[in-house]
Amino acid sequence: MAFGRPGRAALAVAWGAAPALFVLAGNVEAVAPAAPPRYRFVDMAPELGLTRVVLAGRPGKDHLLDSAGTGAAWLDYDRDGRLDCYIVNDWLIEGDRITEKGKNALYRQRADGTFEDVTDDAGVGGEGEWGAGAFVADYDADGWPDILVTNFGRNVLYRNLGDGRFENVAREVGLESPGWNTGAAWFDAEGDGDLDVYIAGYIDNSLEQILAARPTLPWRGMAKVATGPFGLDGGADHYFRNDGGHFVDATVEAGMEDKGLGFGFSVRAADFDRDGDPDVYVANDSDPNYLYRNEGDGTFQEVATWTGCALDENGAAQASMGVAVGDATGDGELDIFVNHFSEDFSTLWQGLGGGLFEDVSRRTGVGPPTYTTLAWGTALADLDNDGDLDIPIMNGHIYPQINDHPELIGTYEQRNILLDNRGPEASPMFVDVTDAAGPGFQQVRASRGLALADYDDDGDLDLLITHLDAPPSLLRNDSEVGSWLVVVCEDERGGIAPIGTEVRVTAGGVTRWRDIASGDSYMSTHDPRPHFGLGSAETVDEIDVTWPDKTRSVRTNVPARQILRIKKGT
Amino acid sequence: MRFGVQATLAAAVALTIALAPASAAAQASGTPEEMVATYSSLADGVLALERSEANLVRSIVAVTLAHGQLNLERALSAAEKGETRTAKAAVEALASDVGQLATEGDNAVGAVRKRLLEGGHHHNAAGESQGLYDEGYVIVTRAAKAKLLASSRAIAAMAAAPKADALKAEWKTVEETVAELMKPGN
Repeated sequence: MAFGRPGRAALAVAWGAAPALFVLAGNVEAVAPAAPPRYRFVDMAPELGLTRVVLAGRPGKDHLLDSAGTGAAWLDYDRDGRLDCYIVNDWLIEGDRITEKGKNALYRQRADGTFEDVTDDAGVGGEGEWGAGAFVADYDADGWPDILVTNFGRNVLYRNLGDGRFENVAREVGLESPGWNTGAAWFDAEGDGDLDVYIAGYIDNSLEQILAARPTLPWRGMAKVATGPFGLDGGADHYFRNDGGHFVDATVEAGMEDKGLGFGFSVRAADFDRDGDPDVYVANDSDPNYLYRNEGDGTFQEVATWTGCALDENGAAQASMGVAVGDATGDGELDIFVNHFSEDFSTLWQGLGGGLFEDVSRRTGVGPPTYTTLAWGTALADLDNDGDLDIPIMNGHIYPQINDHPELIGTYEQRNILLDNRGPEASPMFVDVTDAAGPGFQQVRASRGLALADYDDDGDLDLLITHLDAPPSLLRNDSEVGSWLVVVCEDERGGIAPIGTEVRVTAGGVTRWRDIASGDSYMSTHDPRPHFGLGSAETVDEIDVTWPDKTRSVRTNVPARQILRIKKGT
Repeated sequence: MRFGVQATLAAAVALTIALAPASAAAQASGTPEEMVATYSSLADGVLALERSEANLVRSIVAVTLAHGQLNLERALSAAEKGETRTAKAAVEALASDVGQLATEGDNAVGAVRKRLLEGGHHHNAAGESQGLYDEGYVIVTRAAKAKLLASSRAIAAMAAAPKADALKAEWKTVEETVAELMKPGN
């Protein structure tokens, strides 16, 4: 709202808010010609070469592992200035027999914007493990982005050798941690300059149990579906402290013991209470979520229940899947958005300051449009560059059997959702604009991961989406968007994306916040370059970069519509 | 597990044979009295265990309430002396206690409850189906849980600058809610 919204009235027409007025006026065409939808997303994946199918177990999704899906990540692995992407894969199973182990895919972006599959050359196929998420960070501070791949099985840490190849060093550094590993987040817990990592665990099951699983749970009295997560043992989360390049399991020592054995899916590190150190939020399926508050001395305290972000407004634990963090409500505080199972709202917890939260899902309008779908990957991101954060939500059910029962709510493959942020004064603040978001948002898939990036460097954010049993989608953003700025944060060695860096951009009297994170959405990593929508502002008054060591870089009176590089120490 | 079932069946068959009267054909069939008696004893045990569970949860709630009372006093004392950091920590600990009253214990208790549910044990199954209780909850109703969670957030919001009267008032609400839950028969 701070930037003015000249197109709002006309857009209301396109999104169906005003037809009744036109009927009263008697002549729809004459009163207000339909404005073209502002949002338009087009799937470019097949054309650009992102074609590898993500395998997903058995057709009947006999175990929850079959339907958990995978994440994706954006990174510039060869530092050629163009974003590349990495997509995690799973296996194909027939009955209790593994018939194909899918290979993860690294796609290098060529100068013409197409992608080439360089997985084999780079050596990042996944080591035959059943993949979950991809989390990019320069863990060894050598200037090259590395990739942590969490797995059902042993995790893989691909260390970037700087010559286009990677080597798996997970065992060597102590991060294999066998189990059903899901979401993760890199962050510097102690402010010692080393990146530590938190890895969530979902269910404690053996491969034999998974292969032997069959749909035996009667669901809604209609269909037999995969059992769980209730009835299965939760997998423990782990916090690994980086001690000079070797990772030590310091979960208990740091006060992060997963006492509830929650079914952990997604993890996001951010400074939720604004006290200068990163805290960790864990979205748990069917269990209360966790918020580990950093006490500033290398220890954490789990505070989610009394700070208001463990349970929904009714005091109920929800089946949490993906998570996003940002200032959605425009009040300067960090909010938390979490997706859930169908027949439940996605939840927006508004930051109240001081690390406290309130469920505002109903009030802001994010609840009702998300009630019928089963939602996974997500983001708080300015997709129309109007200055506020919108919410794309990736959907897809876990039970294919639901398609045999039209009397039940939902289908197995579902359409994704786009919620447009109309500003804090609007009621509701968020409006479902999926119908008018272009052909990319009309796709019906079993979607899971979402990683955002301005891959084509045109100033707007595009969506890389993983699906079950299908190749990914890359929704190019062809929307009519406002002004923008992308900030590339470079460390002293020229490597980009120091995790934990915060960027504040002030334009038109409004300050917007972004951080560089690894671990967001559903087991995914977004573009490491903070993106800002600026509405109608063509000049940025101030850019304030706070580096992980709390030193700052400030720029003033910067022209908008550019990709600006800021090097630490300058 | 399989061995256990087989052993039980074998014992039952053996008992049945041993108890079978010589002129079985002349008598009405029925469950052997000894089995009924054993079952009855087992029922006593099962019901006693459920009462023990309820008593344990009441104890958890009572201990948490007492812990909260101590934290309230610490907070009030520190606030009066102007010890801001101590007061803040005490108020946050109090908020945490009230949150744990709402959830009948901390995350570790939640894990135990989850195990019981996974095993098919619901303490208030009828209340759950009527929407009065969350799954596996023993004495804290949904309505009370919502009240207590609201109180925990309200108390947490006072941490930065605690005011004695406001803290006491919110704590009184907590005490009243818990007292209602702890009434015999609930």
